[in-house]
Order: sequence, then C-alpha cells, then structure tokens
Amino acid sequence: MTREKPLVLLVEDNETIRNAFALLLEESGYAVEQAASGAAALESAAAVLPDVVLMDLGLPDMNGLEVTRRLKADPATQSARVVAITGRALQTDQNACLAAGCSAYVAKPVDTTLLLSIIGEQLEARE
Amino acid sequence: MIELRLFIRGDDGEADRLRKVLEREGFALEGTPGEGVPGIRLSAHRDGGGLDDEAARQIEELEVEIRELRNLDVAKSQFLANVSHELRTPLTAIVTYGEVLRDGLLGELNERQREAVQSVIGSSRQLLGMIEEILTYARTGARAIELEPSHFPVTAVIESAHEMSASLIRKKGLSFETVVEEALPDVSADRDKVLHVLTNLVGNAIEFTPPHGYIRVTARRWELDPTWLCISVEDNGIGIDSEYHEMIFREFAQVDSSRSRQHHGTGLGLAIARNFIQLHGGQIGVESELGRGSRFYFTLPSVEVNGHSEEE
Repeated sequence: MTREKPLVLLVEDNETIRNAFALLLEESGYAVEQAASGAAALESAAAVLPDVVLMDLGLPDMNGLEVTRRLKADPATQSARVVAITGRALQTDQNACLAAGCSAYVAKPVDTTLLLSIIGEQLEARE
Repeated sequence: MIELRLFIRGDDGEADRLRKVLEREGFALEGTPGEGVPGIRLSAHRDGGGLDDEAARQIEELEVEIRELRNLDVAKSQFLANVSHELRTPLTAIVTYGEVLRDGLLGELNERQREAVQSVIGSSRQLLGMIEEILTYARTGARAIELEPSHFPVTAVIESAHEMSASLIRKKGLSFETVVEEALPDVSADRDKVLHVLTNLVGNAIEFTPPHGYIRVTARRWELDPTWLCISVEDNGIGIDSEYHEMIFREFAQVDSSRSRQHHGTGLGLAIARNFIQLHGGQIGVESELGRGSRFYFTLPSVEVNGHSEEE
C-alpha cells in the first residue's frame, strides 16, 4: 500500500494531549487519524488501515492492551504496528505490552524526539 | 486476670500512646512486630479484677480515635493520588507542545527563543518528576500497592540502576563501583520496587557527593540473618548529621532547610523507599557522619527465606 504520507492512528482519550500529539505528528510529516476510545479506535482502524497505531493504554472504555489484541486478531488490521504509551517504565508493564502484540512502547512523560524515532523505526521495519 | 490482645497498624507512635495508658493501669505488656504489615501486636495482661470503668472507656475511645485516624489517612492518600494524576495531564501537554516548538516543527526559533522554550520544558519535566513521586507515595498510603515478587539476581537490578544514572555520574565525574559477595542467592522481591529504591539511593548519592567523589554499591549476605541480603549504597559526599538519621525516612522531611534549599525535591524519596522495603519485611537505615559521606543500606529476603515462608 503506498500513501503520500504514512498514516498514524492516535488513540488517546484526553483531548488536550491528543491535540498535542496530533500537532507533533502532523508537523513531522504524518497523516493523523484520531480516536478517543477503544471502540472508536477499532472502528477507525478497520476503516482507514493505519500504518502505525499510537495507543495510550489508559482508555475509558477498554484497556489499550485489549484493543491491541483485537487489532492483532483481525487480519485486516493486524499489519499495523502498535506503539504503546505506558504510564510507567516498569518491566512488568513492558512485558505485558509486548505480549499483547505491541511492537514498541514509550513511557510517560513521553519524550517527543524518542517517540518520533520509534515511529520511524516501526515504519521502516514494516516495509 | 484480664487479658487483652490488640494489633496496631503503623509505626507512628500510636502503639506507644496505648502502651502508656495500659501500663498506667498496671498491665504487663508484650509486643511483637506485625507480620507482613507494619505495626505491632500487643498482648497485655493484669492479675486481679477487671478494668475500672474509666480505663475501659479510655481504651475504647483510643481505639475509635485510631480507627478514625486510619480512615482519614487512607482518604487523604486517595485524594493525593487523584490530584497528582489530574496534574499530570496538563503538564504532559505543556511538555509536548514545548518540544514541538523547540524542535522547530512550527518554524525555526532563534537561540534565545530556543533557550526559553527549553527552560519551560526542563521545569515542567522536573515538576512531572515530583508529581510522579507524590503519586507513588500516595498509592502506598492508600494501600493501593501490592508486591509482585519474583526471583532475580540483585546484580541485575544494580546494573539497571547504574545504567539509569550513568549520564549523571559521568557528568559529575564520580566513580561508581559495585562489590558483590560471591555465590549470593537470588532475592525474592518485587523487582520494580527494588529498582525504585536503588535508583533513589544512587540518585541521592550523586546529588550529595561533590565532583570526583565515589559511589559504591555493595551486596552481601546480611550478618544478622544470612538468608537475607543487605544492599548498601555508600558515598564520600557531604554526609548527614546523626540527629537527622531517623527523620530523613519520614514523609516531607529534608535535612536542615538552609543547606538543602539548593537540593529541590518533594522530600518523599526516602519515605517511599522505606515503605517499599517494609512491604518486603526488610529494614532500611543509614550510617553517616557530617562531611564524611553516607552509607544507606536495606535488607531483602533471599530465595532461601522464601522457601520457608511458603510453607505457612
């Protein structure tokens, strides 16, 4: 699939933070689709087939890991690379992320330089 | 003869108050530390007739008061945890927008603008770090923290703590040394909590040791009980006067305000460390003299201890 810009699905329930990340990603050359809940994320992923999903794990309706498992279970969306945003940089959390099917994780507070380089790596690995 | 059995949670003087009342009433007392939970199990007995009404009433009042204080304390911690969580969100947005600006994504900045934005980011990250610490502390107070024990070599955690602090150690020109006794058994503990404690102690050592000093982390069997390990972090920094040795492990306490003003922080780091170590049933303490460096140590159960307690 070739797109003009790689497409990132941004899943984050807090609007202020979502806007901040959307700005960061758009200004860094990505197309951005947004979702504020787990259900919206699943719907949106099936519709737009993102290259990368940036997933906050603390969603109101569904754990981000559960959303990831469902994305990975659906043949239509399973090729998307999921990057988790975890609350803490704990070993146990990180292992849970990878087990659920995330390809990478970034701990809060997110360092934007690191985040962009991780998204870049994931896109390269995908090709 | 009358006999009373009580369990008092915590270690903040309530047990002592109750002891005094009971002793005044002629009771013989025996106290044993609580198992697993901080606190004391008190058994009291007195020959002869029952309590007089006044003493019985006083004890009842104290018990009610203790219960109310405990509930209040948990509610306060819960509040603190909620507030800290809420504070993080807008701060995260400030940092992210700041970094977008700093990296020129919305247009190139000149040098002075960049410096100003970098200050906004730096201060916000510092604030986030402090909020994170308050949140962790509040969670332990709200009894919302449970241990997830596993078996691992303590050297692995020492290495992680070293890695996390390596750039600061380098920047200050400090030397970092690890001394580990041979054939040490694995520890049986919550790895993330142990790492938290160790990075905190190493962080303090870095902060309070002048450039070109040393930090030495030692792990060995504990001499008082060789099935436990004793891990210590030693430095040749400014040291701590003996009058502060107990106080620094309490919440919000910092050594002598005039000197520590230059060292910012919530004053919760060591209180959190103490909570984490006590949750494991271990001990934490310090040996230090002003101007002669400090040695902080804590104990953790090795797998040899766990083998016994699992039978219970």
